[in-house]
This record gives sequence, C-alpha cells and structure tokens, in this order.
Amino acid sequence: MKKKTLAKIGIFTAAAALAVVSAACGSNDDSSNAGESTGLPEKIVIGYQNIPNGDLVVKHDGLLEEAFGDAVSVEWKLFDSGGSVNEAILAGAIDIGLVGSSPASRGISSGIEYQIPWIFDVIGKAEALAAKSGINSIADLKGKTVATPFASTSHYSLLAALEDAGLSESDVKVIDSEPDAILAAWQQGDIDAAYVWNPVLAKLTADGGKVLISSEDLSKKGKTTYDLAVVTTSFATKYPAALQTWLNQQNAAVTKIREDVDGAAASIAAELNIPAADAKKQLSELIFLNASEQAGAEYLGGGLARNLFAAAEFNLKLGKIESVKEEAAYNAAILTTYASAAK
Amino acid sequence: MTPPLQTTQATDGRAPSWVSARQRGQEAPKGSIPSWFYPVAATGTVVGLWWALTAVGIWSELILPSPSQVWHAFVQSVTEHDGRPGLSGYYLWEHLWASLWRIVRGVAWALVVGAPLGLALGLWRPFERFAGPIVSFLRSLPPLGYFSLLIIWFGIDDTSKVWLLFLAAFAPISLSVAAGVASTRIERINASLVLGANNAQVVRYVVLPSVVPDLITGLRVAVGFAWTTIVAAETSNGIPGIGGLAWATKKELRSDVAILCVIVIGITAVLLDYGIRQFEKKYAGWYGRW
Repeated sequence: MKKKTLAKIGIFTAAAALAVVSAACGSNDDSSNAGESTGLPEKIVIGYQNIPNGDLVVKHDGLLEEAFGDAVSVEWKLFDSGGSVNEAILAGAIDIGLVGSSPASRGISSGIEYQIPWIFDVIGKAEALAAKSGINSIADLKGKTVATPFASTSHYSLLAALEDAGLSESDVKVIDSEPDAILAAWQQGDIDAAYVWNPVLAKLTADGGKVLISSEDLSKKGKTTYDLAVVTTSFATKYPAALQTWLNQQNAAVTKIREDVDGAAASIAAELNIPAADAKKQLSELIFLNASEQAGAEYLGGGLARNLFAAAEFNLKLGKIESVKEEAAYNAAILTTYASAAK
Repeated sequence: MTPPLQTTQATDGRAPSWVSARQRGQEAPKGSIPSWFYPVAATGTVVGLWWALTAVGIWSELILPSPSQVWHAFVQSVTEHDGRPGLSGYYLWEHLWASLWRIVRGVAWALVVGAPLGLALGLWRPFERFAGPIVSFLRSLPPLGYFSLLIIWFGIDDTSKVWLLFLAAFAPISLSVAAGVASTRIERINASLVLGANNAQVVRYVVLPSVVPDLITGLRVAVGFAWTTIVAAETSNGIPGIGGLAWATKKELRSDVAILCVIVIGITAVLLDYGIRQFEKKYAGWYGRW
C-alpha cells in the first residue's frame, strides 16, 4: 500500500517536472522569427509610452510601417512605466522599448540583456518638484511629505535634489505614489510636495503649486535624466539593418519636431487625446537631439554611459539597488554606430 | 456525535479509492502514511523542482531566482544591512503587521456592517429585493477599478486602504449570513413556534445560532478576498506593507523579493484560515450535528 502510493507520487512528480520544463523551453522562442535571407524580421514589437516625444510622431505618422513596407509587420504595445517595459523585455515580449534613464540604469545593473541605440529626449522642465504654497525652498521640506513614483526618473531627481540641498532621506517623508494618485493626494492635502511629470505636474502648478527645482536645473548640476530607447541584444545582433531603419525614422521625427513643431504637436495631440496647444507646450519642456548630436561625446559617445553608471552608484549608496556592475558594462550597453550612420 | 454511516457493510466492503476513510467511517489503518507526510512532500516537491529548474539555468536569475537568492532576500528583510533596516526601510514583520492591521480593520468593519445587513437580507424579503442587487453589484467590482475613487475621497493614507478592504470583505459576509438565514431548517422554527416562541425569540434562539457557521464561512471567504486585494490597496503609499513591498519589487526588478512576498502572504493566509477554522471548531462545533 505504502509503496504503491509512493510510486504514484513519484510518477506524478516526474510528469509535473516534465510539463514545467517543456513549457519553459516552449516560451523561450523569440517574439520575432527570422526571415534570415532578407536580414529583416517578420515582425517588430515595440513597447511605447505616452510621452510627448518623437516616438509618438513615428507611431502616429506611420513612419515605420512606411519604411518597412509589407515585408515587416510592426506591433505597438503601450506601457505605463519603465518598470513594466523592463519586465516585458525580460519576458521576451518586445524588441524595442522606451524607458527612463533610471529604469535603464537598474536594468543594466541587474543584467537585463539590452542596449541603448537612441535618446528619445533629455528631460527638461517636463519633470519638476512642485510644492504647496508656503514652502519656498527645498530646505523647507524638512519634516514634510513628498510623493513620487518610486524607481522612476522623478524619484532619482528628487533624491538628487534633496541631497543637493543637504537633506537626508530621513529628514523628509518620501512616499511612493503613481501620478494619478499624486494628484488626488495633493487635492486631499495629504502631501506637501511631489516630484512628478506632465500632465500631472501641469495640474499641480495650475492648482497653486510652486516649482522648487526642475530636472533641467538638476541637469546643470550633473544629474541629467533621459528617456531612452532600449533594444534587446539578440534583436540588435540579429537584425542590424532593421534597427538602422527604425533609428532613421526616429531621427526624421526629431527633424519634424524642430522644423514643423505644429505638425509634430498635432500628431502627438492625436495620440494623447489632448489639445495641440498643450502638446506643443509639453514638447517645449523636453530637449530633443538629432542623430549626429547624439553620437557626440556628450551623449551616446560617452556621457550617457557615465551618467547611467553614476546613477547606479547613487542608487546603491542610497540602498535603492543591490549591486552595480563594473563601468565597462554600462559602456557596452550603449550603441553609437547606429546614430553615427543615421540618415 | 452521530454514529458514522457504515456504508461498507452494504457494499460488501468495496469502496472507490477516492472515498476517504473518514467518509467510510473507518479509522486510518495503522502503519499507513502519516498525515504530516503530504504537506512535507508537497513542499519538498515544489522546492526541489524550483531548485532543479534554477540549477539547469534555462532562465536567468532575474526571471527565476534560486531558492538561495530568496533565502538571502529573507535574511536581508529581517536584518539591518548597510545601516538600513530590512527591505524598503522596514523589517519584514513591520511590513506584514502593517498589512495585517489594515486587513483586521477592514474585515472588522465588514463584520460589523455585513453581518446585520445579511441578517436583514435573510429575514425581510422586501429588503432583500431592494438591497440584494446592490450587494451583488458591489461584490462583482474589481478593486483596482474603483480604488482611484477611494483615493480621491479618502486620501492616500490608511483610510482609503481600509475602505477598499472593507468593500472587498463585506459582500461575502452579508451573502453568507443571508444564505444561512434562508437555510435554517423549517422543522426547528416550527418546533420553537409550537413551544410558544414569538418572532423575536425564534430569531434569537433558532436563527442566530444556525447562522453562526455560515457567518464563519463568509468570514473565511472575506479574509481571502482581503488578501487578494492587499497589493492593489498598497500601490499608493503602501510602505510599510507586504503588498506595497511586492509592488515595489515590480519597479525595482527584485524577483527574489517578489517570491519572498508571495511565500509570506501565502503562509500568513493559510495560518489565518487555520486560526478561523480552530475558532469555528471550538465555538460552532455543533454545525451539522443536530
């Protein structure tokens, strides 16, 4: 009786193990299967976010679909944060995605196999620390409650601003909150200040919020934050031609933002369901670089890698991440050749 | 206790293998597998499989952290390291207690409001027709759907979280109690009426005791609902909190901490359910025995 039961348990366990292992192998396939002969994938899956930059212009104007024609199908998937994009890349669900420099630094530090070929934008006034009236400097925040979405570029900027003002994290009550909840908490009077991005930032300032410091100010102090493109290493190795085509369209979008800002704003406004005037204003609060500027030493050519490494060390110092890789890993994660070769 | 049915006598001792010894009215035979073997074997199988999968290395440690990584996260969560306590600034028990305290308050309010409401639903037909659909409506709402409303109304401190847990917990309690009232055996009610009881006495001495087991079943379901809602409740300002910690791991790529949270939530929920069952055995042990 006992032997029989144990044997049954054994068989059941082995069957379960087999099922799990075979499922594992099954899910290991790439999302984009090869059309090896042409050097192009059959499908590109792109993870985008609702941030008013060139990516939305590319999407709305159908630049990628036009450039690839019928050979490659393009699938756009919407994400709400860099953390979700990191997860999706780990899961093999997307090929190219948009993440802030803070999640990108975390991703490289924890060993996600992706690389950065393109900077969507440098964050300027679009992210800022807004405070209730009566708070006139960052030092006034001592003992107050400040909300920010944790692990975002805003969180990083907030910690940098506090450190710059000589405050430690224990002097201020920093709480984790998503942008929509920040707006509600602000109106409730639960928080005294928030480091957050548009459109919530615009609503806070319209509601009497005073901007104490913006990401543009912090950039001048060496704590620049970016919105970055990440491409899985396997995709970049397998389909360099497709990546180049993708990047050329991004470059075209930056040209459009610079030369025809109303047209670009109209495209973005359509994607975000906001008035074109708002889109134009939000565009003006980000800094856009074309391919040749990006390829220079200040950005992809060296500055960005140093920035990501420094961000990782800063996060480690504050106990926000577990480990930092050697600086070479951050250099290796930046691809300059595509921006240099862009048309 | 009623004598066990000796069905095996009528079936010449034959019984399908899935009919348990308890149902057949037999004591477990001596020398068979002890009862502790199964949970231990189940745990061993899961951990063994987990360990084997990580040892084979199909997935990176980010996708499936090894048991030793999760152990490391556990050690971190209960010790001070680099001058900081635990994970996200609090020790594991502080996270767990913060969540438990929210659940206790949410479920307590659900009991206070839900049990009388359920009684009213069960005893008074017009009220059931009036309020029954509202309770069913509330029960079917996904918590994430209306949580932002609660934040706007009650802020991002504990009040909105307790409200969310209350809303998740009160419907199962109400509906169980109402079902309990409806299933009170008519013979018992008739018997008490024959003995001269008035309506209030029937409710006090017959219906209420009959409802207690259903109330406890509803409570168990409600606590389960509250646990499934805790991560949603702690997405905003949820630190300390075990759900808030799980939410933070999503942003911080700490799969090891995510698995730790899953294990801690699972064990706590099982222990809590065990506690309620013990309470039921002690104070509602008459269930099914009249």
